[in-house]
This record gives sequence, structure tokens and C-alpha cells, in this order.
Amino acid sequence: MDRRNSRRDAEGTSVITANRLLDGRIVWLAADGQWATLIEDAKLYPNSAVEEALKACNARAQEEALVGIYGVQVTQTASGPLPVTSRERIRAAGPSVHPDFTPDWHAPHPAPYA
Amino acid sequence: MSHSPSAALPVGHYAYDDVDRTFLKQRVAQFKDQVERRLSGALTEEEFKPLRLMNGLYLQLHAYMLRVAIPYGVLDAKQMRVLAHIARTYDRDYGHFTTRQNIQFNWIRLEDTPEILNVLADTDMHAIQTSGNCIRNVTADQFAGAAADEVLDPRVYAEILRQWSTLHPEFTFLPRKFKIAISGSQQDRVAARFHDIGLIAREGENGRPVFEVFVGGGLGRTPIIGVRLRDDLPEEDLIAYLEAVLRVYNAHGRRDNIYKARIKILVQALGTEEFLNQVNAEFAAMDRARYRLPEATVEAIRARFGAPDFAPVGNAAEKLAAQRKADRAFDAWVHTNTHPHKQPGYCSVTVSCKPAGGIPGDVTSAQMDLLADLAERYSFGELRITHLQNVVLGHLRQDALYDVWQALEKNGLGEANVGFITDIVACPGLDYCALANARSIPIAQKLSSRFANADLQREIGPLRLNISGCINACGHHHAGHIGILGVDKRGEEAFQITLGGSAGDGDASIGQILGSAMSEDETVDAIARIIDTYLSRRTAGERFIETCRRLGTAPFKDAAYATA
Repeated sequence: MDRRNSRRDAEGTSVITANRLLDGRIVWLAADGQWATLIEDAKLYPNSAVEEALKACNARAQEEALVGIYGVQVTQTASGPLPVTSRERIRAAGPSVHPDFTPDWHAPHPAPYA
Repeated sequence: MSHSPSAALPVGHYAYDDVDRTFLKQRVAQFKDQVERRLSGALTEEEFKPLRLMNGLYLQLHAYMLRVAIPYGVLDAKQMRVLAHIARTYDRDYGHFTTRQNIQFNWIRLEDTPEILNVLADTDMHAIQTSGNCIRNVTADQFAGAAADEVLDPRVYAEILRQWSTLHPEFTFLPRKFKIAISGSQQDRVAARFHDIGLIAREGENGRPVFEVFVGGGLGRTPIIGVRLRDDLPEEDLIAYLEAVLRVYNAHGRRDNIYKARIKILVQALGTEEFLNQVNAEFAAMDRARYRLPEATVEAIRARFGAPDFAPVGNAAEKLAAQRKADRAFDAWVHTNTHPHKQPGYCSVTVSCKPAGGIPGDVTSAQMDLLADLAERYSFGELRITHLQNVVLGHLRQDALYDVWQALEKNGLGEANVGFITDIVACPGLDYCALANARSIPIAQKLSSRFANADLQREIGPLRLNISGCINACGHHHAGHIGILGVDKRGEEAFQITLGGSAGDGDASIGQILGSAMSEDETVDAIARIIDTYLSRRTAGERFIETCRRLGTAPFKDAAYATA
């Protein structure tokens, strides 16, 4: 795993993310145990508990068709968790150069880019 | 005035036969099976990753990315339409032309990939050698077979190298990726000195080609200009000699440290003389008869390339001159975006994929279809992708230029900026790439908007501006007259400026870092001040790179950090 992905302070809060095996899309572990496409739905973990949670997620990765599971440190804002690094903010929001490609799409093949 | 492909053979690229097509279909079937085994859990991600990479499939920041090979940058209209089809059907309606003359699709689904590869194979395309530690897609001069200054067509040799390297049992698991470029002109338009092997061909005394061989060049975290190993490698020894170079690299290249695994590190570690001695020893020990490249083989490969059937052009030059006189914008475009052709009355056109404020190298499916239509109608059905992320129509009659320009203009491809400051090379950066530290595209967009004024660009003159989102340097920032490198400053994006890099024309140099990294907006302002410094300090007719070399970096550094 990229070293940057595991940068977490001792004190702090993280969410857990992965890519879906089938289409590579980014997902976030929600409180109900499902993997959500929006970071707003992600469950918050104290950093002291993230590694344990990651172990459990990795054990189910094949069954849940996921790859590249890791924790992302966030700050809590009014609109939900906000990753502390620009890399993870871009992962959460979609490419900044295509505002139309936000992650909250659900169609298997989205409408053409105009 | 219109042209269609003159014969069954595709103009500009090698015609596949049943053997090639059977191989591609077998490869698709093999990958389909590998995908199924991955989905079933029979293959772990660790086991599957090298297999998907061998088929050009990366897992990037937001999705899978499929890199499709465009061997030596040449494709035909039918193939371009297939790329448009893939963009429309399986992606988000666009593709990104890369600095290795390939195309990337950023939103691919793993489960669709076997079918996409199948569609590609139906038109003799694939994604082989676009990833992994193998010999990658061989790049060639974008004006191959057309340029007035060309000595010989490098594409035939690029194809020979492709056939030699594909599935080569010794070179499928090299210490690291291996990049070869070849030019058939003394004008180095392929950045030969920045490749693992760079070849510059010229005609030898017996009328057959000889090759100048550069080895150990590269960019990335350790930028190095390649050293000349041979000045006069005969055509018949081309394969044997490259085989010898690769064998020395394969035997001694470092596999223990990915950052020291490229051949450039080995050449530096051994020293040029010792490296050359080892290559010569390997070369001398080889069964030369087995590796000889006979003239008959070269000609057999050449015979599988279609050639344009040039028609008499009549008063094409006069017509073009009148059109240029009547339309200033067209005249500016002809000035910047055309290149002299060896055939009187013809020229090559570089279609800029760098509109003001646009994403360098991105092209929509509609634009791909338009380019295919124009190629079919005016340029013998042939297109080339350049390593500077533009598209070339190789063989246009001069009296067709006005029609072509108007069609390009209407579809966002008519920018008259080739070789200017807004003809920016940029990698996908942190908007897409899992390795990137910073976004390359937004800063490219800001810079191309800042310098969009056509008169200003003309006044600044030739200037290469290259942007990489990380030290891997896919945007070739070290080779830019101005380079921008994205860095990670405690989780935030920042940018370093390099100055004085150059890729070709015998004056290869590595850009020097000006100073500490700045924010995106500070960097854009700093570059504007660097340009102001150039404009105020240049001598008559002096290009940007020449002023940099004359003055050194100090005045530009002062300007860059004046208010930062």
C-alpha cells in the first residue's frame, strides 16, 4: 500500500475506503456494514481502532469484491467527513476537472460527458 | 481532392495477417479466463495484478484505466472510430492521448475489459506492452514517412522491434519497464536521448540504414541524458545489438530497488566504457547469423505497409497562398500547425488537442470520429498520435488545408498553438492517477487560459511547457523549457518549477529546479513573471531556451520568487 495512505495521527478520526473489484469505483465503509459510494455515509473510527477494523475488512475483501482497503484520516465538518489530504479529498469528490463526474452516480454507464 | 486508402494495405501501419489476428484473439480469451478466475476468487489480487497490467489495465484513483497501444503512434481511421466507440460505450465519452503515443480510458470496468479487448482485436488493436516490466510501445517520429527532412521511414524498424519484443521470452520480466524511440530524421523529434534506447537512423554507405544508438537516458526521479554507444550500427545488426544491450541490462539491472532498476542507473553505475565493453562482449558471443536482420526481412515488413498514392496537386500552393492572405486566423494556424512534406504540394498538419483552458490530450468521441473522417477524406485514412499529446494528419494537399481547418475549428480542435506556451504536455495527475502527488490538469488549464491570447503566444515564440504530477515524470517536466513538478507538502499539493530542459535536436538538457515549491496560483503567477523576464531580456530572434542558457537561471529565479 502507498505510504501516504496509512498516514494517520495517533489522535484523530478515520474512515475506511476501498475500490470495488468489478468496476474499480471508490467506496466507503458505512455504519451498517455496507460499502457506500458517498463519503458522507462513511462510519467514523477513532484512529486507535482503525487497524483492527481494517483487518476485519481485509478478511472479507474477496467475499465483498473489494480491493485496496485502507483508512483515511478525516476531519468532521457540517457536511460530513472531510479527508485531511488533497489526494483523499479528490478520491472522495471525483476529479476536480470534471465536476459532472461526482461519485453520486449509480447508472452502470453514466450519461456521456458533454 | 479527397483521398481514400489507395489499396487494401493500411497506409502508415503494418497490415496484420491471420497469425497476428489469431494471436490477439487467443490473448483476449486468455485474459477473459483470468478475469473470470479473479472474480471467482481463484486468483488473488496479488496474483491478478501483473496479469491485468500485461493487458494495459491499471487500477487508478477512481476506477480502472485501460491503456491501449498505438504502435509507433500510427492508426487508421477505422481504428480511431473504434476508440471513439469504446469511449462512448464503455467509458465517459472521451480518451486521453499519452506521452507514449498511446490512449488511456479512465473509467473502465474490469468486467467489460475482455469485451473491449475483443473489440480492439477486431480492428487489429490491443493493449499489450503498455504496462509492466517489458519493452513498451516503441515510439517514432510523428512525421514519419512524410517529413521533408526525413532520411528513412522509422516505422518499418519500429514494427520490427515490436515483433521482436512482443512475448520475447528473455525480456518479459525485465528489472523495470524499457522504452525505445526511433527517428528517421537527423532532427530528433522523439527525445531519443531520454529513452532507455534511442535510435536515430540515417542512410549508410551501401544505401542501407545505419543507426546511432543512445542508451541509458530517461526522466523520472533520476533524469539522465543517454550516452551514445554506437554511431554506425548496421541495419543487419540492429536486433542483435539491442538484444545484447537488453541482456546486459537483464543480467545486471537492479531488481532489489525499484528506484534504481532502470537501465540508466546501471549505465551510470558501471560507467559508459564498462557498460559498452559488456555489451560488446555479449554481442561478440552471440550467434550473429541467428540474430541477423536480413534486408529481405526488412523489405518483407515494409511491403506490409501501405503507402500514400499522391495525386498531382495542380495549383494547390497558389490556392493555399490566396486563402492565407484572405484569412488571418487561418494563416496563423498554417504557420504553427503545419510541417513541410517531402511530396511537393502536400504538408503534414498537427491538430492541437490543447484548447485554451482545456485538458491537454483529452479528446471526445465526437472529436475522434471527426479526426477519422478527416483522415479518410484527406489523408489516406491515416492518423498519428504524437508524444506531445496532439494528433497528426500526415499527408494533406495544401489546397485541402482550409477545409480541414474549418472543420477542426468548429469542433474545438483548431487551436493555432503547436510549439507555443499553451501547447502544454501534462500527465493526468492527481485527478486520476494513483501515483500522483498533485493535479497537473488544473494548473495546465490556468496557464493555457492565462496565455491564450494568440498575439502574446506568437510574441513569446517557441516554448515547451511540460507538467508532471509526481516525480515519475510522465509529463516529461525535466525536458520542458519550463517544467512543473507536482509535490506533496504534508498532504497538500505544491509545485516546483524547472527551467532549461530540452528533449531534442541534439541539444538535450535537463531542467534545473528553480527553488522551493509554491501553490498552484503562485506557480502560475511565477511563470508569468518568468515570461516577462524573458521578453524583457531576450536579444533579437532569441528563443526562450536560448535566453535561459545565456542568462542562466538566476534572473528567472529572482522573477519567480519576486512576490511569492
